[in-house]
Amino acid sequence: MQTLLDQLDKGTLWRSPGGIHPPEVKFLSNTTPISQLPLAQEYLVPVPQVGENCTLAVKVGDKVLKGAPLTQGTSIWHLPVHAPTSGTVVAIEPRASNHASALPVNTCVIAADGEDRWCELTPGSIELSNQEMIAKIHGAGIAGMGGAAFPSHIKLNPVSEIELVIINGVECEPYISADDRLMREYSQDILAGIAIIHRLLSPKRIVIAIEDNKPEAIKAMQQAVSQSTLPAGSTRVTVIPTKYPSGGEKQLIQIITGREVPSGAIPAKLGIVVHNVGTAFAIHQAVTQGKPLIERVVTVTGQNVGKPGNYWLPIGTPVEHVLKQTEFNAEAEQKVIIGGPMMGHALPTIQVPILKGTNCILVPSSQEIGITPEEKACIRCGECANACPALLLPQQLFWHAKAEEYDKAASYNLKDCIECGCCSYVCPSDIPLVEYYRIAKSALKQAADEKHQAERAKLRFEARIQRLEEEKLAREAKAKEAAARRQATMTSTDKNAVTEAMARIAAKKAAAAEATTDNATVEVVFADTSNTEAPKGKAAVAAAIARAKAKKAAQGADDAESSKQAFSSESSEPTVQAESLSQKDKVAAAIARAKAKKTALKADSDTNGDTEATVNANQPVAETATSTEADDKKAKVAAAVARAKAKKAAAQQAELSDMAEVQPEYAKQESGSDVESRNELGSAAELSAPLSPEDEKKAKVAAAVARAKAKKAAAQQADSSEVAEVQPELVTEAKPESGYESDSATEPSAPLSPEDEKKAKVAAAVARAKAKKAAREADALSDSNE
Amino acid sequence: MSTMLIAVILLTLLALFFGVLLGFAALKFKVEGNPIVDELEAILPQTQCGQCGYPGCRPYAEAIANGDKVNKCPPGGTATMEKLASLMGVEPEPLNAEAQSQVKKIAYIREDECIGCTKCIQACPVDAIIGAGKLMHTVLTADCTGCDLCVEPCPVDCIDMIPVGQNLKNWNWRLNAIPVTLIQETPHEEKRG
Repeated sequence: MQTLLDQLDKGTLWRSPGGIHPPEVKFLSNTTPISQLPLAQEYLVPVPQVGENCTLAVKVGDKVLKGAPLTQGTSIWHLPVHAPTSGTVVAIEPRASNHASALPVNTCVIAADGEDRWCELTPGSIELSNQEMIAKIHGAGIAGMGGAAFPSHIKLNPVSEIELVIINGVECEPYISADDRLMREYSQDILAGIAIIHRLLSPKRIVIAIEDNKPEAIKAMQQAVSQSTLPAGSTRVTVIPTKYPSGGEKQLIQIITGREVPSGAIPAKLGIVVHNVGTAFAIHQAVTQGKPLIERVVTVTGQNVGKPGNYWLPIGTPVEHVLKQTEFNAEAEQKVIIGGPMMGHALPTIQVPILKGTNCILVPSSQEIGITPEEKACIRCGECANACPALLLPQQLFWHAKAEEYDKAASYNLKDCIECGCCSYVCPSDIPLVEYYRIAKSALKQAADEKHQAERAKLRFEARIQRLEEEKLAREAKAKEAAARRQATMTSTDKNAVTEAMARIAAKKAAAAEATTDNATVEVVFADTSNTEAPKGKAAVAAAIARAKAKKAAQGADDAESSKQAFSSESSEPTVQAESLSQKDKVAAAIARAKAKKTALKADSDTNGDTEATVNANQPVAETATSTEADDKKAKVAAAVARAKAKKAAAQQAELSDMAEVQPEYAKQESGSDVESRNELGSAAELSAPLSPEDEKKAKVAAAVARAKAKKAAAQQADSSEVAEVQPELVTEAKPESGYESDSATEPSAPLSPEDEKKAKVAAAVARAKAKKAAREADALSDSNE
Repeated sequence: MSTMLIAVILLTLLALFFGVLLGFAALKFKVEGNPIVDELEAILPQTQCGQCGYPGCRPYAEAIANGDKVNKCPPGGTATMEKLASLMGVEPEPLNAEAQSQVKKIAYIREDECIGCTKCIQACPVDAIIGAGKLMHTVLTADCTGCDLCVEPCPVDCIDMIPVGQNLKNWNWRLNAIPVTLIQETPHEEKRG
């Protein structure tokens, strides 16, 4: 019984299942040496390319040298991206991606300066420690060059013991010859890279696998191996028969070792690591010369390319530039395919960059590619199952994928499909099987993501419930403790103090009630000064009702005597109290009220929502800013909230009184004061000028308390017959004052500071929202009453 | 006579023995909760949005287990309703609310308008909003379930529900197949030579 190593040394090969023999067409591109193309004007470097969390190391306008890193990442999965040439960063913005979807991704656009000047490189040598070497490879941003672009430094730093390293030079996909040419021309460099891999992984054997359709490459590699400094017998070139898809990682392992990589596992589990020849070359460049991965060999081929061949293309070169330089003649409905004809994807646009995993640009003529044949019914011939290299049942997968029974498809190991396209290739019914699998796979992935999300949400929800419970318990315990402490320390004198304080508060409340009366009067006056606006929504009506209520109530509360006395004293109040009471009270209250009203109005009538409302809210702001002192944000917010609440309560109150049959009077009152009160805001806002912040705040709080009281009183009053008598009085008494108020409305306005504006904006927004809510409630109430 | 007595005694003893056995088994192998609730809960989308009228997905799962209707979960849509119906063995019924569009949305706070009131933080069922009093708040997009519960309490209306855009990660392959047709291979032997 031979060991695996013996068999490797002998070059024993195993048969891999399935596979096909499509026409290779490599002759188009593999006859000329790898050459350079002129520099492009612009390079599109997606940031990040591999790994997600990173920060940009450059900003727009920066000059960068060739090889300078553009991103910095902290995660081990992140690969830095480097400038492909020297030039200026002209934009960092979303651009179309080199992906079948061409969805925009964040891209760093570098305008080349034509000098192509390298930044300072720090060459290393084979003497570096393993960790330093891996750091160098990580820093150079080396990703797997075979197509998947997996970060190489992770594969070079495995947790388990590696016995076998396979260097993949198979390149089984038709048309592509990039690795073939690289092996022919740079075999020494590849071997140097392999030596570094040998140093890092110290495997027992290294096998360089090459398909037998590349005799020159095989010869070159064998020669390089014989000249290399690697331990004798540790490295060999194994020639494998040409078959698609032998170059797949799992397929290649099966051919070389006869072992199958378990489903869902990685080859490292078997002690095997596979690297592409291009990756070995890039590792050599990075370690010995310090050059980051900024260019790669790309096959540009197809019958519609004038100069097919292999080119060193900087990562980020636009495909458009490449095609222009290689004399591409577009035909109608020209397809440009990234990758080979079997596994590649057609590009929706050619303004996309070359990436680290891009090995081929295929521009076939219509003869080569033909028209898409019509899909016919599956005849269950089983050809696809014979061709499948992963030993799946493609027709079964197709069946379930087509019926969108993705969980059933998953139970047939859909995730092990490598999307090689063999099944589609052999299908006599021209069914695009791989397309179905891709759709099914993305649907499954989405379902899995959702499931994961739901799990997380559930955990977080439960954690929150628990936290709230704990907080509640803690609060209760604390309250209990505090109560006990108070009980213990409280003396009889304290108790007296409390009663005294209560008495003081009661006295203050009475005084405040008077202030409310005054405010209410002022409001009506404002209303008179301006009356150009058309009648609006219910919010305003509700607000007006509220005001009227407050007024009425205030009178009632104010005067404990008969209604006659109430309005006789009322008529004298405006003049007396307007001076005796601090003007500040009125102003503060009016500002908030006015704002609330105006915004409520807007919110009700306009459908544009936020934008317009914000614009409108700025209006009062501009005027408020005429005040010389800074607006007290808190006080304003508090006042606005109080008012909105008062309004809400009043709206409910109005409905109650409707039922009490005093509605006619209210209606009159409303239409009188409310319609006119729209523009009140302007004048009201300007009145804020003479306030000091503390006074303002105090006054506002007092006003809010008073209003609440007034409303309560109003509730009691609503039913009484007094109401009818009070109403007309109010309206008439309000008129005479209009002259005084309109004077103040003409106050000059001054430019406002940003802070003031912001504060005022916030206050306005709060007031607006409150008013909206109040209006909504009023609506609902009136609806239900009807 | 004695035979009958023996029989009676024997049967009584047997009855006692089995009674004790059953009683012990009932305590020892007691099933905590209703296992169907867990299965139902696993189907529900865990947005914890409360649109079913219950405070969270688990309470609704319990309600379904107790005979409530299966059509009260708009975020789950028809697919969830059908799964619930098949699990409960009841007829599927149309959703009682307008099913939400299948576009997933997440909350976004316009940060310069946020006044730092913490109301949305209290409303969020999954603690996906961070911030503190009088300081700007923001939504952890990875944890937002799009339940909408934070929109209503915001006093300044600065929360928007924004549809999650497509990116390379969640893009659905609808690729046109690249058909491969056999062409005549014309070897360029002279070139190779």
